[in-house]
Amino acid sequence: MTTASQPTPNTLPTTPPSSSIEPFSPEPLRWVAEDGRPVRDLPARYTPELLRELHHEMVRAREFDRKLVTLLRQGRTTFYAQSSGMEATQVGLARSIRVGHDWVWPYYRDHTLGLAMGVPMIDLISQCLGTNSDLCKGRQMPHHFGSARQNFVSISSSIASQVPPAAGNAMAQKYLGTDEITLCTFGDGATSEGDWHAGLNMAGAAKAPALFVCENNQWAISTNLAAQTASPNIHIKAKAYGMPGFYVDGNDIVAVMEVCGHAAEWVRAGNGPALVECLTYRVGSHSNADADAEKNYRTRDEVNSWLARDPIARIEGLLAHLGHPVDAEERANLISSVHRAVDADVLKAEATGQPDWRIMFEDVYADTPPHLRDQAAFVRAEQEGQK
Amino acid sequence: MTATENRPAQTGATQTGETRTLTLIQAVTEAMREELARDDRVVVFGEDVGARGGVFLATAGLQAEFGPRRVFDTPLSEASVVGAAVGMAVRGLRPIAEIQFADYMGPGFDQIISQAAKIRYRSGGQFTAPLIIRTPSGGGVKGGHHHSQSPESYFTHTPGLKVVMPSTPYDAKGLLKAAIRGEDPVIYFEPKRLYRAAKGEVPSHDYTVKIGEGAIRREGTDLTLVGYGGVMPDAERAAAALAAEGVSVEVIDLRSLVPWDRELVLSSVQKTGRAVLVSEAPRISNFMGEVAYVIQEQAFDSLLAPVGQVAGFDTPYPYVQDKVYLPGPNRITAACVKALNY
Repeated sequence: MTTASQPTPNTLPTTPPSSSIEPFSPEPLRWVAEDGRPVRDLPARYTPELLRELHHEMVRAREFDRKLVTLLRQGRTTFYAQSSGMEATQVGLARSIRVGHDWVWPYYRDHTLGLAMGVPMIDLISQCLGTNSDLCKGRQMPHHFGSARQNFVSISSSIASQVPPAAGNAMAQKYLGTDEITLCTFGDGATSEGDWHAGLNMAGAAKAPALFVCENNQWAISTNLAAQTASPNIHIKAKAYGMPGFYVDGNDIVAVMEVCGHAAEWVRAGNGPALVECLTYRVGSHSNADADAEKNYRTRDEVNSWLARDPIARIEGLLAHLGHPVDAEERANLISSVHRAVDADVLKAEATGQPDWRIMFEDVYADTPPHLRDQAAFVRAEQEGQK
Repeated sequence: MTATENRPAQTGATQTGETRTLTLIQAVTEAMREELARDDRVVVFGEDVGARGGVFLATAGLQAEFGPRRVFDTPLSEASVVGAAVGMAVRGLRPIAEIQFADYMGPGFDQIISQAAKIRYRSGGQFTAPLIIRTPSGGGVKGGHHHSQSPESYFTHTPGLKVVMPSTPYDAKGLLKAAIRGEDPVIYFEPKRLYRAAKGEVPSHDYTVKIGEGAIRREGTDLTLVGYGGVMPDAERAAAALAAEGVSVEVIDLRSLVPWDRELVLSSVQKTGRAVLVSEAPRISNFMGEVAYVIQEQAFDSLLAPVGQVAGFDTPYPYVQDKVYLPGPNRITAACVKALNY
């Protein structure tokens, strides 16, 4: 918490004590080149076993995307925002925090983060379908889930509105004397919102243990980064809030884990908040609302250039380089097992049925005020009259 | 002060025990002081609330008593203040956030309506935000339109928020304590022109005033006068003036707007047959429009006259014409006379 005013001048953020992970780097920090070869020494923890596990999680998320888009086209859900192309950023982020101990205020394109944090697939599917198995009781449009078991706070569509609460969440963690941190994610578009500034400024002033991560996929629906800000990048904005800003190749999962893991522990150690910008790319459309992005606002060439920098191809390249390649059969088996799991969970979720009208009147308040009791009675009579 | 002003019926408290005369703002301060002492999860923050004690001095002395960890200043940003309160509440604290003037709730509006009001609902009850936003509102202090507005209706229009506005020191303390101990986000408006003008007896013992219950300030049989917040003293003056003319006016202080005490208002109107609703907020979409609607829907057969309304005007709040803009006792009396002569 802030203290009574003291006219001591602030200093610019100090460099965290690490020789290789410097804030404000001119280029995104990278451990693995696009062809899969390490460009820095690979820390020992990246065993072939761990890399394979990460690879599986990334493929699982990619195929989850594909399956959910299919469900959308079948009319079984009404909205979906793909995170294909962003798997290294989101899976890497989940590996950078203490899941279930730290808190997360995510944004709407974070289902891969949720999956990698251990939110069961059926919970995400149930939320997209709005079935009785939905932890959020069918209250929000698809793709806006939340899960208390992982301290994964339910998503708001209002862009950047999670940022000031994340600062407050971190202030509470500090107040309570915990060793938790708060991870707050957002896209590049969110950084233009007033709430983004409000949240980072507050966290900086309070020296709150918040890790802000920009999943810079370079497109906010149809507005690209150059139109979003005159700033050459996002991470340098951290300077204005008195925190370090790290720039990382968001398609290199090793880089994401190294930098975000380092930043998370720096934050946890009581140094105050930090900002990380993961440079990645949204290879799909924003959502079903702009299903053919390349017809309207971006070129096929641009998308192709990023498909060539695919994060899953990169980790496969690294595994091959280390002598543990993923062969075609393994990949095919993995993909089909994910498809089967999604199909099974969809059926399981659908079997729980849709919540009835009563759900509408619950959880507005802790109690039920008289006007809501009356309105519920009105709907009950209406519904029973129709039977 | 009327005999019923400080009735403790809603509180479960007994009338025995010591009371002191406090101003409304002293009662607000005392509620926070006692809750800070009672519950370590309670924190108080906002712009200039620490060493300065707030621009109106509502938090005077609290930082000195509880330290800067519990009572602290924030950056000058209402979105930060409200947003931080949301996050703190979700993580288990009981934040009391001050917005320096209700006129400055704008930058925090999205945090209030998108986060505070909806997190319980949208998460299926997995996450909740029991927080209090305290803010001085209303006119009569020569503040012009950026220091005098009554924006409560915006917040009554957002499900998930509770909205209260006391007009007495007793209620100020009891409602604030109830809000702090409750599980929902509460927008707590403080009628700033009554901060020091409203004085009353406040018990020394612990008590709360239940959110959602109105209070009868004066019993009567000919007409029901309903108000809340800053207009209440003028409503009581109007009732006293009419009493001198032999007219018996029942005066109700809503105290809570969401939820509001429909039972109390309806039973009074069923008894008197006439209702005049008083507030100082602009008339269009004024919360009293809902009260009028419910009266005509539920008590139509009892009505002897159209429901009257005295409100602010649909202009920005003016500086020089402060007194013309605000409903005073004369305008309230005239509205009652019109209903009585219908």
